[in-house]
Amino acid sequence: MIYFRGCLSREKLKEIPRATEKLLEIARIDYRVLEDEGCCGSVLLRTGFMDDALEIMEDTYEDVKGERVLVSCAGCYMTFKEDYPVLLGKKVDVIHTSHLFWELLKNDKISPSLDLDAVTYHDPCHLGRHMGEYETPRQVIKYLSKIIEMDSNRANSRCCGAGGGVRSGFPDLSSEIARMRVEDAVKTGARHLVTCCPFCIHNLKSAQESHGTREDRNDEDMDILDLSQFLLLGLKKEVKQ
Amino acid sequence: MNDSSLRIMNKSFNILDKRRATLLKDERTINLKERVKKIRKNSVKHLSSLLEIAQENLQSNGIEVVMAKDAHEAREVIYQLVKNEDMVAKSKSNTAGEIQLTEYLESKKVNVLETDLGDRIVQFDESHPTHPIGPACHLDMARIAEIVSSKLQKDVKAEPRAILDSVKKDITGKIPNCNIGITGANAVAAEDGSLLMVHNEGNISLLTMMDTHIVIVGIDKLVPTLEDAVSVVKLETIYATGKTVPAYMNIVSSPSKTADIEQILLKDMYGAKRVILVLLDNGRSRALQENEECLWCIGCGACIVNCPVYTTLGPEFGYLRHLGGRGIVLSKYIDNDEVCFDSGLYKCTLCGQCTNECPVEIPTNQMLEDLRKESVKKGLYTQKHQEIKNNLKKTRSPFKKELN
Repeated sequence: MIYFRGCLSREKLKEIPRATEKLLEIARIDYRVLEDEGCCGSVLLRTGFMDDALEIMEDTYEDVKGERVLVSCAGCYMTFKEDYPVLLGKKVDVIHTSHLFWELLKNDKISPSLDLDAVTYHDPCHLGRHMGEYETPRQVIKYLSKIIEMDSNRANSRCCGAGGGVRSGFPDLSSEIARMRVEDAVKTGARHLVTCCPFCIHNLKSAQESHGTREDRNDEDMDILDLSQFLLLGLKKEVKQ
Repeated sequence: MNDSSLRIMNKSFNILDKRRATLLKDERTINLKERVKKIRKNSVKHLSSLLEIAQENLQSNGIEVVMAKDAHEAREVIYQLVKNEDMVAKSKSNTAGEIQLTEYLESKKVNVLETDLGDRIVQFDESHPTHPIGPACHLDMARIAEIVSSKLQKDVKAEPRAILDSVKKDITGKIPNCNIGITGANAVAAEDGSLLMVHNEGNISLLTMMDTHIVIVGIDKLVPTLEDAVSVVKLETIYATGKTVPAYMNIVSSPSKTADIEQILLKDMYGAKRVILVLLDNGRSRALQENEECLWCIGCGACIVNCPVYTTLGPEFGYLRHLGGRGIVLSKYIDNDEVCFDSGLYKCTLCGQCTNECPVEIPTNQMLEDLRKESVKKGLYTQKHQEIKNNLKKTRSPFKKELN
């Protein structure tokens, strides 16, 4: 199995692959990362650079063909799963980390403690609305904790503001949308916001930092975590006991 | 749009959202939605034949039909009909907004009396309408009272009844001087040759009684039958306002007439002597060929109420009265690629919330993603995205400029 970290996790949010690889090791999963990992093509597809995207996708396909591909990013997941067959006529055997984690939990490959604080969960658009995958990440979370849902969740979930190239093209707009989503999360009273997409995490975190600490808000207390990090927290607790 | 207007708009949207919540889950709404989805998809699919049927039946009913291929033609047709008037009365119409009719007529010294309360307030304020059904939902009561006071040059209290009374008195004082009423229509029944108009205030009823009633409507508003038209506007009302029915539905199928004396047909009893329908294409035929889904719209505005971008930017995300992402799609066909880019082609996060909210499930994010491909081919993209593309091609990373 290839663990395809994706650009943002690989280069900026390194805590995500760190946690994910740790979990893979604990579960004794045989995997490899690509030495010169390329791009799934998502960012180019969403911003209209079709020809360039196809070139890059062909290139990446050569690296991943014939193997199972594990991804941390909701964007990579949708692109490999939906766009490769349609645009390249080539299927990729892709799974998202949430799928793998659920399998591992079900089969007792990892067994975390059950007493983490309640969290809230943000549905990444590419995983939720676009791929219909609402429950698997929730099942993983519910294994260790309770979920306090935000008012808008699942199909109605408010976007984090990062998608479609908006974060790179219009950072202020993107950050303002992220601020609204962080507020949705703060309203639940949960201490952790868990999600499954590095782009969401990156954008929500930076909104939290830049809009930061108004007196009537406590969002600086809220940890925004990838599902892998959250799961690892559960394991660490058990190790300590 | 400034922060305070956005806040008030979003507060109005939240109230609307809560009011609709239970109704949207009602089985009757879900059944109606399924029916309307079929009606709209079918109507758009057979639009050219519906258009022929509609023209024939409307004309045989006594309605004059004019086809306008673009905004310029439509404005000119209407101007020729109204040019001798000091003032014409008008109801809320997004199609009239699309061709900027009010601005045009006023530039030609024909005053336009907006008779919808929200529209009249927005007209006084010279701001942009923020919702297709609730145009003034970005203004709070204090601000509205200020606007109305300054325009009517009297002290109007910041209290809803006082505002309503003042504006109503001003409008009803002017209506007797108007001979021409201009309205839109929410749906046009081709087989019956009928126009269906929806309103809550009763203003459209007044306008249909004027000597001349001009109706401006996009060709996408056609459906086969009056029963279909009623289904469409019922669903529109539910999604736009959270009520099951509007206060009024007017159906106009002919100028006023009677046959009470020996079955001899006489025209000109109480209502309009002439009913003139301006059927506007304005890029819709092109949209039909390239992205017909954007014509399924029933005009309820559900797509913008929870749109992360619209609730952040307001009407600058969209095109004229076609608010939000779908408006951006339409702008390409009504105007051109540059206007489409400027309307916010690249500001959509492609999150798909609008499709989820839309009663006829218009795949707006998919359309916008496709339009970006065409936009890139024409050299219209953001510099930042080009930079990312170049990085990716050189280094396989969106962030790295050079290989280490």
